[in-house]
Amino acid sequence: MDSHWLSLFDVTIDFSQSHLFFPRIVTTLLGILLVMILVTRYRRIVPALRHAGRVVGGREGNFDRKRFFGTLVLVTLYFYLMGVLSDVFPNTGYSFLIMSVLFVFSLSLLYAERLSRRILLIITLNALIAPAIAWYVLAQLFRITLP
Amino acid sequence: MTPIWSKACLALLASAAIGLTTSAQAADDCPLPGNLRVVIGSTSTGGDTYQNSSIVVDQLAKKLDINAKVDAVGVMPAFQALERSRHGNTIMIFHDGAYLGNLYGVNGYPNIFDKYIVGPTIAINPGNAYLVPKDSPYQTLDDIMAAAGNGKQIRVAIQPGGVSEIGFSALKNAVRLKYPGKEGNIVAVNTGSQADKNQLLFDGAADVINGSVQANEQYTQLPADDQKAMRFVWITARHDTIAQTEAAGMGDTSREQLLQYVTPNVKVPMGDGQDFTFDKEFFFLYNKDMDPAAVKCIDTALADIYDQGEIQKQQKRSFFIPDFKPSAQAATYLEKKSEEYRTIIDDLKS
Amino acid sequence: MDILSHLTPMFFTLIAAGTLIGIIFGAIPGMTATMAVAVCLPLTYAFGLVNGIALLLGLYVGGISGGMVPAVLLNIPGTPSSITTTFDGYPMAQRGEGERALKTGIVASIFGGLFSAAVLFFFAPVLADFAIKFSYVEKFLIILLALTVIASLCSNMLMGIFSGVLGVWLSLIGTYSITEGGNGEPRLMFDFMQYYLIDGFSLLPVLIGIFGLSTILLDAENGFADAPGQGRIKLKGGARFSFSIFKGQLVNLIRSSGIGTFVGMLPGVGGSAASVLAYSQEKNFSRDSSQMGKGAPQGIVASESSNNALTGGALVPLLSLGIPGDSTTAILIGAFTLQGIQVGPLFIGNNMDTWYLMIIALVAANVLMFGIMYFAIRHIAKVIEVPKYILYPLIVMMCVVGAYAINYGIMFDVWTLLIFGVFGYVAQKIGLEVVPLIIGFILGKSAEVYFVKSIESYGNLTIFFTKSPIAAFLWVLIAVSVAFAIYLRVRNRRRGASSLVE
Repeated sequence: MDSHWLSLFDVTIDFSQSHLFFPRIVTTLLGILLVMILVTRYRRIVPALRHAGRVVGGREGNFDRKRFFGTLVLVTLYFYLMGVLSDVFPNTGYSFLIMSVLFVFSLSLLYAERLSRRILLIITLNALIAPAIAWYVLAQLFRITLP
Repeated sequence: MTPIWSKACLALLASAAIGLTTSAQAADDCPLPGNLRVVIGSTSTGGDTYQNSSIVVDQLAKKLDINAKVDAVGVMPAFQALERSRHGNTIMIFHDGAYLGNLYGVNGYPNIFDKYIVGPTIAINPGNAYLVPKDSPYQTLDDIMAAAGNGKQIRVAIQPGGVSEIGFSALKNAVRLKYPGKEGNIVAVNTGSQADKNQLLFDGAADVINGSVQANEQYTQLPADDQKAMRFVWITARHDTIAQTEAAGMGDTSREQLLQYVTPNVKVPMGDGQDFTFDKEFFFLYNKDMDPAAVKCIDTALADIYDQGEIQKQQKRSFFIPDFKPSAQAATYLEKKSEEYRTIIDDLKS
Repeated sequence: MDILSHLTPMFFTLIAAGTLIGIIFGAIPGMTATMAVAVCLPLTYAFGLVNGIALLLGLYVGGISGGMVPAVLLNIPGTPSSITTTFDGYPMAQRGEGERALKTGIVASIFGGLFSAAVLFFFAPVLADFAIKFSYVEKFLIILLALTVIASLCSNMLMGIFSGVLGVWLSLIGTYSITEGGNGEPRLMFDFMQYYLIDGFSLLPVLIGIFGLSTILLDAENGFADAPGQGRIKLKGGARFSFSIFKGQLVNLIRSSGIGTFVGMLPGVGGSAASVLAYSQEKNFSRDSSQMGKGAPQGIVASESSNNALTGGALVPLLSLGIPGDSTTAILIGAFTLQGIQVGPLFIGNNMDTWYLMIIALVAANVLMFGIMYFAIRHIAKVIEVPKYILYPLIVMMCVVGAYAINYGIMFDVWTLLIFGVFGYVAQKIGLEVVPLIIGFILGKSAEVYFVKSIESYGNLTIFFTKSPIAAFLWVLIAVSVAFAIYLRVRNRRRGASSLVE
């Protein structure tokens, strides 16, 4: 009975439940690997977390909190306001244009090492021109839908 | 360096301003935005929905003197965009899949007749077809139904939950009527793209596949000893629909030949003495709160376009059958159509 | 001699224009070859079939090639298939060899492109018949093979495999799509997330989030390497490019181009798998792979020749079966149907002229790509001299455009960018490996479909071994690939140990 032991490998998948079949395997695998990682390096985890807390808190290392969190805040604001404004100017890309000018300008200011008059001028021009070119070429010439 | 920059900048701003003034106006009696976004229920820019939508939307934009852009965002994002756009800035074009998904109970498909305004129909894709390998023992759809009635399992490759499944359901229903209790012998092999369906046929993992005249016609012209050779057994469109195609048909298959595969030559009974047919129709969908004047405006503009007769030629060249019905008429018609299919689907469930 | 009449200046101008625009799209982080082809599709209607196709093929070749530029200079892959270019390209750029790395990539690209064009021309119908022997089972095994590659690409085996599996897991979030033959039911998320995640996370925003935004966050945290005394990237100073780099690379070139062409031919496997496979095969089988990942030209050669070879490969099923090999050729189908041309098994026979012209256009696009890139590279490479306070805001802006436009205007894709930017940052902090994660993400969905559908069709797990000789052969490859990865790891550890002793 050659086929007898082969039937051990029989698997049937109910179509209505088939969306769970593969994810379950992957989740199980992921869980096993996670346990393995925790078991082999649990000793390093707590000190690492403590160290990370000190770094983010600014008590250790040279973590640039202003730039790091500034980036996160600016990007979040950029995305959020772009969505809001795009309901005001639907299907024109103006929301992208306006918000990008403001975003590029603010992020450049945040990142610049020191601000001389010349650098400020470059930053301002860049913030005005680059989004305008992007908007014009993409939204007007190529007719790509922008927020 | 700086003066050049500022000059370029000025020029850009100027052109932007010009863009603003030209796009912001449309006819006064027509409360449509200067920039209309048309989302479609398909993510493919190579598919029939995109092709059809771009033909119609181009003409519409020209007629109304507005900018319009077709975006292939896919079903769920399209429904979502439509819901958000209460002022008619975004409208949708899709086909019968929009309500079939709901009938089949696919997650996320609302009842479009409740939730949106059903707009005008614009065209039919007459190509929805079923094929077998060229060396299949089944010559006709009747052979297939008889085999199922005799207890033979028939595997049909389809994409579940929509246009691809409705013909399958009708076939299964026909077997149920003719050989009660045997409909379980018609089995769906659920798969995705046309490539996957073809592949199942090549592998011998399906006996019948759903396909289309456009995508599969060349396979039917291959010599019988080619592993890839196929044969049409059924085209779901109405006889009248196929009769409207160009006489040359598609590829090397003439209209006459195509007509062999539609009712009454191929009969799929529906129960009430009628044969099942399915025309894949494309239509507009609007947000429930869209201004009735805007709805009317698009109706009128499309009526004008179809009166001129140019668009019909363009559609027929791309193997679409022009089929314009203004929104009110289209809504009643499509709701009736969907009720017919609901009966079939519900009968099979019980 | 109908063909000659089509070879107008217009024909070649459009190829050149397409190639140039493609390179620019490919070179901007966030914009891809697919996008370039998609936005230019409506133009083809005005140009007619032959000229329209010429433009699109130029865009396709240019877009794929352009992806190497940000990969080398900024460590951000411009297209998904240039991920592996970053492995050696960026370390070279850091040594001041950016120009050398790019030129190596360009030469490898034209080799891969022409190789696959030749394969397409001479063997398309034969190869198409071979490709249809790959059913669900064999495609799953190809994906499995690509996934085992993770073992040879990661620096820590356990973390690497975990990251890869996590990538697969992330790709499964969303519904089991009915367009793939699934049942449309959601999984791996809470109900309230369904509104946004019904289609899951899209690849491009995930990719540019992890590679682009998280790189910026990492730099922001350091307060920028621009500060004096830190290792700023130099434009000059390293070794110069010369063709002698290619000495001894012929096997690599042919193997990688072959892999690229072949993977391109298999619909649904995903073009990004090609460069990953080619890279790891070079790592496993070359005589000396110890420098790979630290700035070895051979890594760039493998990556770039294979990703350009995708172009010809993906056209094989398109032109001989009517089935697109990747997302870009899926749009090319639109160009044919817009012109009323049927693509299918009879396409080549029925449209001989168009077929020859397409081959000419493909070859011309590769040659023009080489010409444009080789001589412009010196100027392009100056991008890294732009101060980061100017460059980074623009990269974020372009990533937004790319994320928003990839699915034709979906705001959630922009948020995906941020989610995965932060995720990528945290992942790197806790020791997850980004590349295995992305490979897992890219291949996860297809792996699911082919795995589940194989079992649905055959109902028995042994089918994965017994389906066909091809399946058996793929298992051998998988076994060899895993064995080599382990062998190399052990050998390197021994060497590391012995050098410590000395």
